[in-house]
Amino acid sequence: MPEIFINGQAVQADDNQTVMQAALAHGFFIPYFCWHPHLSVHGNCRICTVEVEGDGGGWLDIACNMPVAKGMRILTDSDKVRARRKQTMQFITLNHPVDCGICDKAGECTLQDYHVAYNGSPSTSRDPKVQSTKFFPLSQRIILDNERCILCTRCVRFTREVSKSNALGVRNRGDHSLIRPTEDRSFDADEYSDNVIDLCPVGALLSRRFHYKARVWYLKPTPSVCPGCERGCSIDLWHRRPEWKLSALDARQNNRIDRVTPRENPAVNGPWMCNKGRDLAATFERARADQPLLKGRPVDSTAAIANARQLIGDARHPVALVSSWGSNEELASFKQALGGRFECFVKADVAAAPGETLADAILIRPDKNPNTAGARALFGAAPPRFAADTDLVLVWGEGTNFGDLPPRAKVIFLNAWLQPENGHADVFFPISVQTERAGHYTNFEGVESAFAPCFAKADTVADAEALFAALAVGPESGA
Amino acid sequence: MKHLIPEFDALRARFPATFASSLVLPCVRRIQEDRGFVADSDIDELAGYLGVPRVQIEEVLSYYTMFRRKPIGRWHLQMCRNISCSMRGSERLLAHLETSLGIAAGQTTADGRFTLSTVECLGSCGTAPVLVVNETYHENMDTARIDALLKGLD
Repeated sequence: MPEIFINGQAVQADDNQTVMQAALAHGFFIPYFCWHPHLSVHGNCRICTVEVEGDGGGWLDIACNMPVAKGMRILTDSDKVRARRKQTMQFITLNHPVDCGICDKAGECTLQDYHVAYNGSPSTSRDPKVQSTKFFPLSQRIILDNERCILCTRCVRFTREVSKSNALGVRNRGDHSLIRPTEDRSFDADEYSDNVIDLCPVGALLSRRFHYKARVWYLKPTPSVCPGCERGCSIDLWHRRPEWKLSALDARQNNRIDRVTPRENPAVNGPWMCNKGRDLAATFERARADQPLLKGRPVDSTAAIANARQLIGDARHPVALVSSWGSNEELASFKQALGGRFECFVKADVAAAPGETLADAILIRPDKNPNTAGARALFGAAPPRFAADTDLVLVWGEGTNFGDLPPRAKVIFLNAWLQPENGHADVFFPISVQTERAGHYTNFEGVESAFAPCFAKADTVADAEALFAALAVGPESGA
Repeated sequence: MKHLIPEFDALRARFPATFASSLVLPCVRRIQEDRGFVADSDIDELAGYLGVPRVQIEEVLSYYTMFRRKPIGRWHLQMCRNISCSMRGSERLLAHLETSLGIAAGQTTADGRFTLSTVECLGSCGTAPVLVVNETYHENMDTARIDALLKGLD
């Protein structure tokens, strides 16, 4: 545990730490572009230069690649350091187009922040900027603006060290250098490719899905859990801030998931997530069911609840197929209100799509439902099966073929989406989705993660948790 | 590339086991010497042999401008255009070569005999201007010597 001094303050560093790691761990900020806590050290951007005090006036060196040594005295904000940072920023922005006004990254751009913090001066170069490729299709999902790129190579290191696709490289030399995919175009096959968009410290790597869709300062991240598989990665769902609600344009823009980014969670996903999770908007923005039905006939929710209670009360052998997309709170509510009345099985709401990767060594898991573990903890792992005398089935969530249900049984169906089965059920309740309520999922390793609501649900849509309490029928109240 | 593998094995024995990516440069040099350029199939085979990702070989080939990904003419004429040679008239000689061969620098004649390139310092300033034909230096060049030289190349 060598003791070092940062800006005169004694700090206990670990033996194998760099100055950058020791400083950040003790609350001293040193700026960085190419360094990243989860990638190897490259040391090309030079913005993390600090002053090491020593005989003869000390010297400047980069913090990211400097191991700590006993008694080392570091200055992170001396006059020398500030002057060097300003020069470094002049170099880094030498060929940068400064087109923040049309750049998706503006507002969350490290280059923009550092320019304000450490440079603030216009370019001192009289030479024209090097022109380069705009809108280069790096893959089906990612566009590259080579003029904005500062060649930090975070994206390249990500494909070599994390996703292991080895799909990106630096072509050519000097100011001709370009980030390019390998000639066999394997970046399309990299299922973690979108992480390089978040890694990019500038606006060079852009999501095609998010391109020109929104300014980030109008958006707000709501902490959530990816329901794409049983890993349950912690994510942020970005949507329009309520205070910036649009009234003139399409109102759907106020209730749209603009993008999905990973939220660092060392217990589950680290700082990464897969591309499938980036496309969650497609899952949540399917057409919604918002009308309770009796055999396809619209009714109000009071009538639907009364009918369902009647069916539950009358049934001799009711079976429930419990959703693996229900939150732990909803599952507990079901268990408490109806668990004693029904024979319960956990069902898989969603099966892997054709061609979808079932599992890999990074994050992707074979079960494509977020809360199978939480549901099985309450209702067991037995696969659904129907005894011959089953006369009522409660189906909670999508993904059940009604043809597989006992033909004479009545059906109570709870579903969030507009699907043909809704009209075939004896009683149908539209229910809220994950983006409209708070709750927890338990992942396959038993880690519980919370999600928060981003949007308000429609009035006619029920929260399953409250609905189950309303449907509770005691054994004595049976009709 | 396959017939070069015994040579690569010998080279490999001189490198530490975890330094396969350091072998990329000597291997592609040898391939270009052998074939005249580095073919796409060479890249795939070398990537397989060394166990390094293909992209790392592509990076090396694009970083060094002397590597070629396409075949060139039988005779590769490289005219120096650095300071000493320029002061001794290499620009005029380059123009003469372009007229004689009917191609611009960077091009190959239609019959596949000549490729004309410009290069930077060849380390022979004392005998400027210098023209390198394949691996041979031709020093103190002038238009008459160039004409005589071209006549001798089939």
